[in-house]
Amino acid sequence: MSSRVSSLQITQQTEGFNVRLKRLPPTMIIGGVILIIFLVIAFTAQVWAPYPAAKTGTGRPFENPSSKHLFGTDQLGRDVFSRVMLGTRIVLTLSLSSTLLATILGGLLGLSSGLIGGWFDQLIMRLVDIMISIPFLVLALLIIASAGPELSGGYFLIILAVAIVYTPRITRMARSVAIDLKTRDFVTVARARGESTLSIVWHELLPGATSVLLVEFGVRAGYAPIFIGSLGFLGFGVRPPTPEWGLMISENRSAIVSAPAALFSPGLALALLVVGLNLFTDGLARVLGRTVRPGA
Amino acid sequence: MNHQKPLIEINNLNVEYWQQGRWVQVIERLSLQVFPAETFGLVGESGCGKSTTANALLGFAPRGARYSSGEVWFEGQDLLRLKPSALQKVRGRKISLVPQNPTTALSPGMKVGNQVVEVLLNHAFSRSKEEARQRTIELFRRVSLKSPEAIFNKYPHQLSGGQQQRVVIAMALACDPQLIVLDEPTTGLDVTTQAQILDLLRDLRSQYGMAMFYITHNLGVVAQICTRIGVMYAGRLVEVAPTRTLFAKPTHPYTQGLIASVPRISAPSRRQSLLLKGILRRPDLPPGCQFAPRCDFAEEQCFSQAQQLIEVGPAHQAACWRWADIPAFKERLALSPIAIEPSLSASKPNDQPIVEVKHLQIGYGANRRERFLKRKPTIIVDDISFEVYPGETLALVGESGSGKTTVARALNGLTPYVRGEAKYAGRHDLTIAVDQRSEEILRSIQLIFQNPDASLNPRQRVSKIISRPLAKFFKVTGEAARERVERLLQDVRLDQSYYNRYPDELSGGERQRIAIARALAAEPDLLLCDEVLSALDVSVQANVLELLVELQSKRGISYLFISHDLAVVRSIAHHVGVLYAGTLCEFGKVEEVFNPPYHPYTDMLLKAAPEPDPDHVMPHTRTDIGLLDQSPNTACPFAPRCPVKVGEICEQITPPWQIASQSHRIRCHLTLDELLPRQNKDYELKIKESIE
Repeated sequence: MSSRVSSLQITQQTEGFNVRLKRLPPTMIIGGVILIIFLVIAFTAQVWAPYPAAKTGTGRPFENPSSKHLFGTDQLGRDVFSRVMLGTRIVLTLSLSSTLLATILGGLLGLSSGLIGGWFDQLIMRLVDIMISIPFLVLALLIIASAGPELSGGYFLIILAVAIVYTPRITRMARSVAIDLKTRDFVTVARARGESTLSIVWHELLPGATSVLLVEFGVRAGYAPIFIGSLGFLGFGVRPPTPEWGLMISENRSAIVSAPAALFSPGLALALLVVGLNLFTDGLARVLGRTVRPGA
Repeated sequence: MNHQKPLIEINNLNVEYWQQGRWVQVIERLSLQVFPAETFGLVGESGCGKSTTANALLGFAPRGARYSSGEVWFEGQDLLRLKPSALQKVRGRKISLVPQNPTTALSPGMKVGNQVVEVLLNHAFSRSKEEARQRTIELFRRVSLKSPEAIFNKYPHQLSGGQQQRVVIAMALACDPQLIVLDEPTTGLDVTTQAQILDLLRDLRSQYGMAMFYITHNLGVVAQICTRIGVMYAGRLVEVAPTRTLFAKPTHPYTQGLIASVPRISAPSRRQSLLLKGILRRPDLPPGCQFAPRCDFAEEQCFSQAQQLIEVGPAHQAACWRWADIPAFKERLALSPIAIEPSLSASKPNDQPIVEVKHLQIGYGANRRERFLKRKPTIIVDDISFEVYPGETLALVGESGSGKTTVARALNGLTPYVRGEAKYAGRHDLTIAVDQRSEEILRSIQLIFQNPDASLNPRQRVSKIISRPLAKFFKVTGEAARERVERLLQDVRLDQSYYNRYPDELSGGERQRIAIARALAAEPDLLLCDEVLSALDVSVQANVLELLVELQSKRGISYLFISHDLAVVRSIAHHVGVLYAGTLCEFGKVEEVFNPPYHPYTDMLLKAAPEPDPDHVMPHTRTDIGLLDQSPNTACPFAPRCPVKVGEICEQITPPWQIASQSHRIRCHLTLDELLPRQNKDYELKIKESIE
C-alpha cells in the first residue's frame, strides 16, 4: 500500500531526502533550480542591483555591454542589467498572482458547476465557451480598454485581465474533475448527510482536484510572463518607467541592430523564466500523475 | 488416486514480484499435482497467490513477475522453460484458461463466434473456416447456449454475463484441452447464474473427462464442484485434501478458521473462537509458519521454522507443526461459544415501526422538462410495503437489478421520483428529497456502501472522514472531535494509530470499519447497509458481521440490510423481504422465509446458493432458467422464469398476497398448500423433462 505514497510527501521515514530527490524527474529539478534562482533575484535584487531601475544617465544611451553595464544601457542611459534584475519581482508577482487568482476562481466555479449540473452548469459552460472563443490578447485588451483610464497601467488591472482570460480554461478542467468525482460513493454519502454544495466542493472534491489544479496553475503560470510581456509590449501593460520585461523589449526595439543587448537581455530572461516554469510543472504533472491514487 | 501419474505437476515453485524497488516473494516452495479428470480447487483469501499459481500453470509470467526457481511439468516438458513458440502450442490447445471477468475476456468488436473460430484455426484444430464454424456451433450447444447459430453472430455486449461466461468456456473447450484453468469464473455473476455455470462445468467434466483447476475464494463453490482442494495462505499451500475430508476434518488452523467463518443457510449461528483473528500483514510475516501470528496454537517453533506439507491422513496433507495437538474441528466447534446468532425479535409486538413503507413506487428519469413533455419516469421499484422495527434488521434480498439498492437510495432521499407512503418514526415523511429533510432525519438515517474504496474519499485522512458528520450534526470540532473520533475507532475495534492514515493505507476490512465508524458518528437510529460485506474476504466478512451485530445489540440501531448473499442474511436478519424486478414477492420473519412455504423465486435463490458442505447437493439447474428482466410485461414479474407457473393467469392478473402467518406473506397465485415442499417435486420433474 505504501508504494503509492507520493515521493513528494515528506514523511518521517529513515530513508534520506537524497534518495527521494533522485526519484524526481530531472526536468523538474532543472526547472526548480531555474525558478529558485529567479526567486532569489526577485527577493534580493534591491540590495545588490548596481543602479536604481529608473535612474537615467548612468551611461551614454545604447551602450554595449561592459564591466560597468553588464547588459549595456537603454535609450535613456539606464542600466539594463539592474532593470532586468529589479524587474524579476514585478514579472513574477504579476504572473503568479494573476494565475493564482484564475485557479481559485476557475477551480471553485468549475467544481461547483460540475457538481450542481443542470441549467447552472449549462449557463456557466456556455459563458466559458464564449470567453474561450475570443483570443487571449484580444480579450485582455478588451478588458483593459473597458476599464477606463484611472485603472489603466495599474498592477491590479493587469492581474485581473490575465485572471479573467485564464479562468474559463481552468473552469473547464475543474468541471471535468467534478463530473468524474461526483458519481463516487463518498460524494453520495456527503449528499445523503445533507451537506451543502459548497462544503462538498471544499471537503470532498477539492482534495481530489488539487493535483489537476496544481498542474493547471503551473502550465498557465508558465505562459503568464509572455502574456504580460505582450501586454507591456503593446503598451497596455504597466506604465513606464517600470522595469517590466515586455515593456523594456518594446522600448528598446529600435536599437535591435546597434545595441542588441538592451533588447535581448529582458527577452532572454523572459524565455528562461518560461522554460524554467514549464520544465518544473511538466515534472510536477508527472509526479502527481504517478501518485494520483487509483481511486482518486 | 495418488498412484496415478499426474497430468501437471508444480514442483517447488517460487515466484517473485517487483515491488517498491525490490523482488518480493509471493509464492514460496509451492508443489502440487493435478491428476487427469479431477477438479482441483485452490482456495484462499485475496492476495494469497491464487491467480499467480494459475499463471504458472500456463507458463505465463506477467510484467514485473519472475519465476526464481521451480518447474511446472506437463507432458515431460517444463512449461517455465519452454520457448514462446512451443508454449503457444500448449496454451489454448492443451491447457486453457477461463478468466474471471468474461466482459473483458471477450473482444468487444468481434462477433463471439468468430472469436472461437480464431482459436480453432490458430491451433489448426479445424482445417477450414466452415469446419471451425460447425465446431463452434457444436461447442455453443455443449455449453447449453440456447440457439447457438444466433449467438454465433452476436457481439459480446448483446449477451448477458452468464452467456458471455458460457462463450468463454466454449472457447476454452475449443481444442479439447486436457486441463482447464478457471480463475474465479463465477465471482461476478448472480447466484442463480453461478449455479447454472457450476452445473454446466460438472456436466462437461463427466462427459469429456478433462481435468479442471478451479480457483476461487468461495468455499461453497469448491465444496460443490471440486474433488480435491488445496488451501493457500500468503503464498504457501497449507493444506491439501479430498473435498469431503477437508470439510469434515480440516487440520490446519487456517483452514478450520476459514471454514468456520463461512455463513451457512442451514446453520446460521457461528462459533466465536474459531473465527480468524487479525488480518494478513505481508511485511511482518515470520520466517516460519506464516499463519503463526494469527494462530491460537502457535509456539516458538512455529515462528522460526517453516513446516512442509506432511501426511496427516490418507491423501491428506497439512503444513502445521502442531496438527496432532490441535483438537479436531468438530470438537472445537462444539466447545466454542456462539458468535453470531440471529437474535429473536428484539421488538415488542406493539412497538411502533421506525420505518413504515406502503405501496412505494420509485423511479428514475423524468426531470421537470420531461414531465412537461408528459414523459413518464422509468419505474424501478413498484408497490412495495414493509416495516423496520427499532433494533431489528430487515434484509432485502434478490439478484442484481432487482431494485434493492434503489430502495435504500429512496429512503435516503437520493432518487428523483418517489410516490407512495414512507414514514419515519410514524411522523416524518421519507418520500421527500434529501435537501428538504430536517437535520434530525438526516442524522438519524445513515448509509454504508458496498465498496469502501469508493465510499471513502481517498484524499481525506481517517480523522477527517469520521469527523465530517460530527462537524455537520453536532458542531463538534478540534480536540473534542478528536476524542470522539478515537472513541468511534475503538467502537469499530481499530486503535488510534489509524487516526492519521489515508484509506489506501488500510485493508478492505479496515476501510469498511472506517465507513461504519463514519456512519456511527452521526448516532443514527437506522443504518442502510448496501451490500456492505460483498467486497470483503470471508474471514473479514465474518468479523465485520460480528461487529454489526454487536453494535446493534449495544446501541439498538435498526438495519436495512441489502444483500444477495442468503447465508449472510440468514445470520443477521430478523425480517427478510425478497425482491424481484422491483416488487416484493415474499416478506416475513427470517425463519419463516427460509422455511417452506416459499415463493418460487425464493426457492430458486435458496437452491442456487452453494453451501460449503459437500454433502449438500445442489439440484440440477442445467437448463437456462433465464434472467431477471427489469421491466417484465407480465402481471407477476417472475412468471417468465417461474418453474411452477400456473398459466395465463400469471401473465395477466397481479398475484394476490397469500397470508401464511401474521408476519409472513407470499405473493403468488398458488395457494400456501401448493407452495409447500410438494412444489419441489414438481420443480425437479419440470427440470427433468426439460433435460430430456
